[in-house]
Amino acid sequence: MTDLTLQHLTTEELELWAQGLLGAARTMHLTECTLCLAEAEQERRMHLALAQLPLFAPRAGFADRVMAQVKVPKTSGGFQVS
Amino acid sequence: MVAWAKEGHEAAFRELIRRYERPVFALVYRMVRDRALAEDLAQETFIKVLNALASYNPDYKFSSWIFKIANNAAIDHLRKKDLDTLSLDGAPDADTPDALKATQLQIGTGGESPLDEVASRELGGAIERAIARLRPEYRACILLRFVEGYSYEEIADVMEIPLGTVKTYIHRARNELRQHLADRRPETPPAKAP
Repeated sequence: MTDLTLQHLTTEELELWAQGLLGAARTMHLTECTLCLAEAEQERRMHLALAQLPLFAPRAGFADRVMAQVKVPKTSGGFQVS
Repeated sequence: MVAWAKEGHEAAFRELIRRYERPVFALVYRMVRDRALAEDLAQETFIKVLNALASYNPDYKFSSWIFKIANNAAIDHLRKKDLDTLSLDGAPDADTPDALKATQLQIGTGGESPLDEVASRELGGAIERAIARLRPEYRACILLRFVEGYSYEEIADVMEIPLGTVKTYIHRARNELRQHLADRRPETPPAKAP
């Protein structure tokens, strides 16, 4: 039988840990492995940085500019230019 | 909402734009790093998608469809202009150390694309610069995974690449990002004068 706390964390497990979703049994490994702990800390920093990315939006009037070039279908089957 | 739009309700078209304009624009902007260009490409994406709504297959996620069109527009542009393709790793399909080395690009030697003042300010953070240094395919994968929260399978759908390739791209991209962030030590505040 393999002791889960002895196996290094996989990339997927590091990602889960950074999201707070890794199970307790595998998280225990980090208390005993400085290599995985360093990897996990790097992963956490990356997640934090990505989570703090600002939201960007196009200039006001974007929808109007798009709709000016979209043909909205008529319920009768033809098209209407908005 | 898509079904409502297909019935010819302009309000539904506008609602689709309202829901997706920010994520689509943000993805394209981070890909091409030019605000005006990103707006043009995002606009083209919506026009293309909304004018083809009649052919939309509801078995497929609408968001995946629109991201696919947007990502293709950005990638096509970058390929044409040969912008921002710097990467710490070699070619994605390089499978030996020699092949990786041969296809590796050196940071700084190609020069970054000139950024306008707004883009420079908005995209000037460490993580934004690290994202910009990824090759476009890696960049799209990372943004879809960590900003949009897509699964690996959904990214494979959007980018029309095999699942294994998505995993490879994300693995290499995250290594580059983590390395870049690890290299940046937190700045130590200057010591207080007595």
